[in-house]
Amino acid sequence: MKAIKIAKTEFKAGLDKLESAYRLYGPVKEKQYYTFKALDKGEKPDLDYTNTRMSAKSLIYPQAEVTFEYSLDKNDDDYAILKEPAKDYAPRAVIGIRPCDADAFAVVRRNFETPEYQDPYWLSNMDATTLVGLACNTPPSATCFCTSAGSGPFNDKNLDVLLVDNGDHFLARVLTEKGENLTRTAGWTTAAENADVVIESGKAASEAAFSTTVHTERLKDQSLIGLYEAEAAIWEKEAFACINCGTCTYACPTCWCFDVQDETYGKSGVRIRNWDSCMFPLFTIHASGHNPRGQKVSRIRQRFMHKLKYYVDKYDKGIQCTGCGRCVRLCPVNIDIRRVCNQMNSYNPESCSCEVTS
Amino acid sequence: MEHMGLEPGRLHFSWISSAESTKFVDVAKKVTEEVKALGSKDKKYVKSKPKVA
Amino acid sequence: MTTYIDKIKEISKRLLRDGKVDMVIGFRKGSLPMMNQPMFARNEGDVDSFVWDSSCGVNLANYVTDRSERIGIVAKGCDSRNLVVHIIENKIKRDQLYIIGVPCTAMIDRHRIAAMVPGEIESIEENTADGTITVKGEGFSETLNKADLLQENCALCMHRNPVIQDEPVADPVPEQSPDDVDRYAKVREVESMSPEEKWAYFDDLFSDCIRCYACRNACPLCYCPTCFVDESKPQWVGKSIDPTDIRTFHFLRAYHCAGRCTDCGACVRSCPMGINVRALTKKLEKDCLEQFDWESGLTLDKRPPLDVFRPDDPEEFIK
Repeated sequence: MKAIKIAKTEFKAGLDKLESAYRLYGPVKEKQYYTFKALDKGEKPDLDYTNTRMSAKSLIYPQAEVTFEYSLDKNDDDYAILKEPAKDYAPRAVIGIRPCDADAFAVVRRNFETPEYQDPYWLSNMDATTLVGLACNTPPSATCFCTSAGSGPFNDKNLDVLLVDNGDHFLARVLTEKGENLTRTAGWTTAAENADVVIESGKAASEAAFSTTVHTERLKDQSLIGLYEAEAAIWEKEAFACINCGTCTYACPTCWCFDVQDETYGKSGVRIRNWDSCMFPLFTIHASGHNPRGQKVSRIRQRFMHKLKYYVDKYDKGIQCTGCGRCVRLCPVNIDIRRVCNQMNSYNPESCSCEVTS
Repeated sequence: MEHMGLEPGRLHFSWISSAESTKFVDVAKKVTEEVKALGSKDKKYVKSKPKVA
Repeated sequence: MTTYIDKIKEISKRLLRDGKVDMVIGFRKGSLPMMNQPMFARNEGDVDSFVWDSSCGVNLANYVTDRSERIGIVAKGCDSRNLVVHIIENKIKRDQLYIIGVPCTAMIDRHRIAAMVPGEIESIEENTADGTITVKGEGFSETLNKADLLQENCALCMHRNPVIQDEPVADPVPEQSPDDVDRYAKVREVESMSPEEKWAYFDDLFSDCIRCYACRNACPLCYCPTCFVDESKPQWVGKSIDPTDIRTFHFLRAYHCAGRCTDCGACVRSCPMGINVRALTKKLEKDCLEQFDWESGLTLDKRPPLDVFRPDDPEEFIK
């Protein structure tokens, strides 16, 4: 790991150099809000942003992706054979991703890369991507709670390069081989002395400024059945407002569920993988017609139990959430995961009560 | 449909009873001619393959 | 309008105390500025959490379909019209409902306000006396006229007072009339475009759609057990974000709401991408008014025009 200094003019020039070796992605303002998109030639990412409306998830895991192609023409040699479509895994770089979004990829990797199964599409995209993160000098939003969700404004565990805005220049930590390759290609090679001191003090100042936290310390020890059965105490009230749209799951960088559909047109077709949401009533419908989560309260319970209990128990690496706050900001009826998390954490099955802290 | 941008002249409505076979033939011919005259506009109204990643 | 809350609470508590209803549906304070969360109260203690302000835009009629309880519900003008539609369509019985009528003075649009200030909003205060709203954040405090901050559908609303209610919380407010406000100005703008321009307009409008279905689910009219987009056998519409499928979904959904939509704005309010979903439904509303002289949800006595056949129905488009 080494520290470098990049003057902002050098930064722009470096991005131009990177264009020849990487396809660049970065935050860009569209109408009123920011979004990650592929940068056109010469287009620069807008690093003055707080965070994007939707997460960077779609850069590695597109919302709709063709997984196979097939021909239904009996005269074709490859009739009825599922073929892999041509994909472009040329190197790409995401410039200016926030640590919470980068940490989310590590959370999702636990699901897509296991000893038994590896998702080739997700992994190929991930391997082709270099993540250049941008630290949050101040909490981007009052809804950010990354510091208590296993991430942090300066977290660099899942980045290849971490940039810290320091006025007229960036200080940067080059953390991995991918990061080395990128910074060398961009010509960002000036070493920085005492960078660590500046970065660490910036980190401490930023972390201290976070005004909202969630309590997760008791989640692992809570009885799973106890929480599951707390319908009257927690789930019925939280579930009432929910309209079962897919907003929270689609905006969430740590949500990963998908649906597989075939679409055939005439004599050829494709198999597509689409994001799916456990909030949709038909998410769990069986071929028999039975739906174990046909009721809204079951689905709400499942979502929060999955994120804040099942994932905690299964991997022992904290909650399936990095505190980016998007679900809080975008939920049309203001269902707040911070509130639910605190209720689950403080729930006492004996007295069948929990402290509602907010 | 027109409000959404479908060209006028592509969508036709007609009441035809199963006993009015000649009317059916006439209407079918007329609609086919009129729509052909409008051209295919690069098939932008027809989805043949999903435009996804 | 912020003085309504005392009356809302008083009525709700009385209803629960006297056992007239099993639950009252209202709002509680949200965890973000300009957001409130729908909640239900089953006892007087719960009612203390009720709030009422200009951020109560969610249509509570969405929560009553197919319920078997006796329900008290806080309803604005548009909500009450949707309740009428629900009763006509047999999704709830009139005698199950105790409608607490709220003469509405319009809801504010939080995205519109966010675009008008330089940073993140921390709090807002409604100054009912002079019709302004003070918006505060780090390093700024701006006082804006509420009239400039309204949801688009509220600015065009002609039915602010509930059309059906069991008990009002205040005296009726003055209604706007078609002489003050041209409801269909935006629709006319699109109508005057060429077909290519129209196609491009809607392409751009729906380009951000992520098929989350927040618009459909927030809409009180969309209560089908299985929506047409969720069917697989046969699959009518693709489930991906292909632009043709997105356009088909919105277009067909608008059609299913034709003659029923009350322009409550819940769809736009709930959309995470800020899409003006009302662009199609407003056109259909105009067509219903001009061709059938029909506005939805105003009376329990007449059936909607697409539900009935009259020999004098317009049909000059059928050849």
